[in-house]
Amino acid sequence: MEFIIETTGLTKKYGSLVAVDKLDLKVEANTIHGFLGPNGAGKTTTIKVLVGLLKPDGGSVSVLGQEIGWDKPDVRSRIGYMPELPKLPKHLKGRELLDIYGRMQGMTAEERGIQIPKLLDMVDLRERENDLIGEYSKGMQQRLGLAQALIGEPKLVILDEPSLGLDPGGMVEVREIMKEMAKEGVTIFLSSHLLHEVQQVCTHVTIINKGVVVTSGTLKQVSAKARGPLTVEAEVDKLSKAVIEKVKELPYVTSVIEEGKRLSVEVETRDDIRSEVSQAITAGGGIVISMNLKGESLEDIFMDLLAKHKRTKEVTK
Amino acid sequence: MTQNRLGWTGKFLAVVRYEILWNIRKKKFLGILVVAFALATLSLAGGHIASAITGDPVEPNPDFVINANVGLGGFGFFLFAIVTTMNTISGEFESGTIVPLLAKPISRTTVFFGKLFAAFLTLLATYCFLMVYMTIGGYVVYGPQNNLHLVPLSLLGALFSTLIWIAIVLLLGTVSRSSLIAALGALGIWLGTAIIGSIIGALAGQGWILTYIPGSGNTGSVGGPPQLGFTVTTGTDSIGPNLINYILHPSWEVTYYKIDIGGTTPEQVQWIALNSEPLSTIILTSIAVALIYFIVFVATSWYFFRRAQVTE
Ligand SMILES: Nc1ncnc2c1ncn2[C@@H]1O[C@H](COP(=O)(O)OP(=O)(O)O)[C@@H](O)[C@H]1O
Ligand SMILES: [Mg+2]
Repeated sequence: MEFIIETTGLTKKYGSLVAVDKLDLKVEANTIHGFLGPNGAGKTTTIKVLVGLLKPDGGSVSVLGQEIGWDKPDVRSRIGYMPELPKLPKHLKGRELLDIYGRMQGMTAEERGIQIPKLLDMVDLRERENDLIGEYSKGMQQRLGLAQALIGEPKLVILDEPSLGLDPGGMVEVREIMKEMAKEGVTIFLSSHLLHEVQQVCTHVTIINKGVVVTSGTLKQVSAKARGPLTVEAEVDKLSKAVIEKVKELPYVTSVIEEGKRLSVEVETRDDIRSEVSQAITAGGGIVISMNLKGESLEDIFMDLLAKHKRTKEVTK
Repeated sequence: MTQNRLGWTGKFLAVVRYEILWNIRKKKFLGILVVAFALATLSLAGGHIASAITGDPVEPNPDFVINANVGLGGFGFFLFAIVTTMNTISGEFESGTIVPLLAKPISRTTVFFGKLFAAFLTLLATYCFLMVYMTIGGYVVYGPQNNLHLVPLSLLGALFSTLIWIAIVLLLGTVSRSSLIAALGALGIWLGTAIIGSIIGALAGQGWILTYIPGSGNTGSVGGPPQLGFTVTTGTDSIGPNLINYILHPSWEVTYYKIDIGGTTPEQVQWIALNSEPLSTIILTSIAVALIYFIVFVATSWYFFRRAQVTE
């Protein structure tokens, strides 16, 4: 298996603080890989090592099949990187910046002439391209930060908390851009402390806490690792024996509990089977009024993690 | 698929472009530029001001331009070094712009020398403008000028004089990652060499030390003690004027003096000649001093920058 990002035992310390602790990270090609963890988990630190801004204290790191080394710029020519809350030079104009960064990527004048207007259109900055970045709003700077990460047609795009500082509309746009890029064969590695952001776009996820990988895999695999049964709760009109029988016929159902109009269906799968349950109810002559999924989902694991993290923080205070 | 068709030179020039655009849009650079032109104008207008006060016509001065040293003195060189270089590395760290910059496929060495070259080009352009302005202005105010062909030497000298300060500011900024420390630290060094140094030199007769530190250097004179002869300063600030004087007077010997405060009245102050050396030696020494400082400080900054981890 060829990995686009592969770290083995990656360790990075700030003085005595171990920010990243023997981290094994593997990112497959052509995936959108979420790097999920609470604030201070070590996401930014890991990313900075990947792009050559920090020197690891231990372990090995290869990106796009090459050891990253120290001050080896060639590896970076196929990597696009959007820093966390990117700070861009205020004395330059939006377009000037993309042009200069494009040159640094080694792009010819012709390539820059084609790609830069496209990127500016994509992040909706075309009208402000000749204004100084210092005059841009935070959201505009964030969008320019995304555009500069995509210049030079990178094979791997690393986005550090791309939705920080964006309004909900902007977040949707960024998600669309990521999906679009993924279709074109670009591997995307994005960090986030927000579960729903990762769930909405990612095919793969690595959860990290205190510099250590908690779990990693496809979104499905990771969800499946969450322990405990899942329960589908439904409010059903015309609830009858026939309805319950139909639901019990579903292969992965372990028990069905009836409580007035409410039906609790315990299932043995991590897949979202709401539509199957709904079909069974309808087949038995019932009418579904509402339905939701309960149980230890990825969300629960993550919330649990956050709660633990907060508790240890309070203790250390 | 994009291929990397822009080679090292193209990337280096991208850094130069990045830095020059940054430099020339800095308020402090524009401020000092305005002040420099204002001072140059004032020195040009000096003749007119004097004639307005005394009522005499403006006296022609055919040596005005050649003595003007592109309109700048030691502090001018220092200030231009500060405004072009105080943010060069440290400002990138302070603003956080170092993060996207160093993540680009360019080596730190390319970034470092691109930035340094940009500072050099900014200075070169500025000093050229000042030189042309002083030359034309001098001609208009003080009449036809002698030895105009030697004026570019003052440009060359001004660049040497400034480079040494650039190297100091760059080193302080790279190591401390603070523009304030770079500026204040360099100011401290400038004040130290300019004021304390000259006191030590004059009183203790140890002026030769000043030859080896950046700035105005030791003071000597040609053709008699300081009040009577032509004063020559040996430091890196005076490379331009000394070069010109050497071409005009190749055989000049510069003598250093020590003050002997023997009596209580000013007439009893005595200048005691210490030693002499040819002007050519002074020039070579000051150029060597400027180059050695420049190379050592720049190499040290480069070493630090190459190893710098971006924790910002
Ligand atoms: N420059 C720094 N100096 C000291 N400690 C740092 C620095 N940057 C981050 N840390 C610490 O390292 C840990 C990981 O931080 P970071 O990688 O920024 O986490 P994340 O991006 O997941 O929020 C945190 O405990 C943080 O306080
Ligand atoms: Mg972070």
